[in-house]
Amino acid sequence: MIIVKDLHKKFEDNHVLRGVSYHIHQGEKIVIVGPSGSGKSTFLRCLNLLETPTEGEIWFDGQLITDPKINIDKIREHMGMVFQNFNLFNNLSIMDNITLAPVKLKLMNKEQASEKALQLLARVGLKEKADAFPSQLSGGQKQRIAIVRSLAMNPRVMLFDEPTSALDPEMVGEVLDVMKELAESGMTMVVVTHEMGFAREVGTKVLFMDEGIIMEENTPGEFFGNPQCARLQDFLSKVL
Amino acid sequence: MQAWFDKVGKMFEMAFVTGDRWKLYLKGLSVTLEVAFFAAILGLLIGTLVALMKLSTKRNGKKTLWARIANAYIDVIRGTPSVLQLLIMWFIVLKNCKNGVLIAVLSFGINSGAYVAEIVRAGILAVDKGQTEAGRSLGLSKAQTMIYIVIPQAIKNVLPPIGNEFIVLLKETAIVGYVSLTDLTRTANQISSRTYEAFMPLIGAAVIYFVIIKILTVLLDQLERRLRKSDNR
Repeated sequence: MIIVKDLHKKFEDNHVLRGVSYHIHQGEKIVIVGPSGSGKSTFLRCLNLLETPTEGEIWFDGQLITDPKINIDKIREHMGMVFQNFNLFNNLSIMDNITLAPVKLKLMNKEQASEKALQLLARVGLKEKADAFPSQLSGGQKQRIAIVRSLAMNPRVMLFDEPTSALDPEMVGEVLDVMKELAESGMTMVVVTHEMGFAREVGTKVLFMDEGIIMEENTPGEFFGNPQCARLQDFLSKVL
Repeated sequence: MQAWFDKVGKMFEMAFVTGDRWKLYLKGLSVTLEVAFFAAILGLLIGTLVALMKLSTKRNGKKTLWARIANAYIDVIRGTPSVLQLLIMWFIVLKNCKNGVLIAVLSFGINSGAYVAEIVRAGILAVDKGQTEAGRSLGLSKAQTMIYIVIPQAIKNVLPPIGNEFIVLLKETAIVGYVSLTDLTRTANQISSRTYEAFMPLIGAAVIYFVIIKILTVLLDQLERRLRKSDNR
C-alpha cells in the first residue's frame, strides 16, 4: 500500500533520514520505536509529505506521491494523521473540527458529516462533547477527538505521531484503547510511539529506527524476545 | 480672580463662539475622521494582502516573487517619512487630481498598509504551526487552512496592535495641512492666527482628539473582550 524507496531527509546540514526503504501492506499495524532524534517522526511525516523528502520515492496505492506534479491534498484525504499535541482547531467546536474537512472538500454534505461525526464520537464515548470547544477538554479527550477527526475522512491509512507522549499518565489508556479498537477494525496503521506494551500487543511489525535508518524489523514476539543488533538490545534494556 | 475668569471667558468666546467658529472645528474634525477612516480600511486591505504575499513560499521553501515585492514595498514605505510620502503623492504622483481627501486617503492607506502587513504577519506566525499541519493533513489546501483555521485565530492576536495602528493613523492625519486640506489641527491653527490667541484653539483641538481616541479605545477593548470570551467557553 505504501512503498518507500531509499528515503533521505536533510535539514540544513543535519542528515536526519539516511536511506529508509520499507513496504507497508494493507491492514498492517507498523509500530516504529527508537531513541529521540532517530528520525522516526520525520519518517512518519514524510509519508504524507508534511516534510518534503530530500531524496527517494514514496508510492501510495500505485501513485508516486513524491512527484512534484501530484496533487498532495488529494492524497492526504486518504491518509489520516494524529499528532503528539492533538492540534484540534482552537477556533472551532468539536463538531466543526470533525466536519470541516469532509464538508469543505465536498466529500459529504453538512448533514451527512454531522451524522458521521456523532457516530464516531459515540464510538469513542464522547458524544456529549459535540458542542464543546477544545479548551474545555482534557488531553485524553482531545486526542480521541483528533482520532475521530481523521476517521471522519474515511482514510485508508492512519499515521500516529507519538499520540500519547503529551498526555498525563492516567489518560494514556483511554487513547490506546481507541487505537486498539481501530486496529481490530482492520485499519492500516503506522504508529510512532514509546508505548512498548502497545507495540507488543497491537503491532504486526515493529521497526527500530536509529541514526536515520531502520536498524531492525521484526514481529513483536521476535523483536522484544530476541533482539539482534546491539543498539536495539541496549535500547530495550533501558525502556523495558 | 474675577478678572482672570473674564479673560478666560473672552478667550473661549473668541476661539469657539464668535462667528460660529465651533462649526469650523466640526468641519475640520469631519475631514480628519474621513481621511483616517478610509485610510484605515485601505491600510487593512493592503496590509493583509501584503502579509500573505510576504508569507508565501515555494515548494522548496524559497521566497516567491510576491514575497520580494512585499518586502520592497514595506522597506520603501517604512524607510521614508509619511509627510514626504504625502507631498510626493500630492505634487508628483497625482498632481492633476484636485481631490485632497482622496490623495490623503491613498497616501495614508498605503503608508499604514506597510505597518499593518507586519502586524498581520506576526499574528499569523503566532498561530501554532500544528494548526496548519492538522489542516493540511486532512487534505485541506493552503488557502482553505488559512481561511478557516489560521486567520480566525490570528485576528485575536492582531487586535491590540491593530488598534494601536489605528490610533497612530488618526493622529498622523494632522499633517494633511501640508497639502492644504483643512483638518482639525489646521483649523485650530488657522483660528489661533486669526485671534492672536493660541491656547484655546490648540488645547481645544487636543481635547477633541483625545475624546475621539478614548472612544475608539473603549470600542476596541469591547471587541477584544468579546473575541477572547470564546477562548474560555
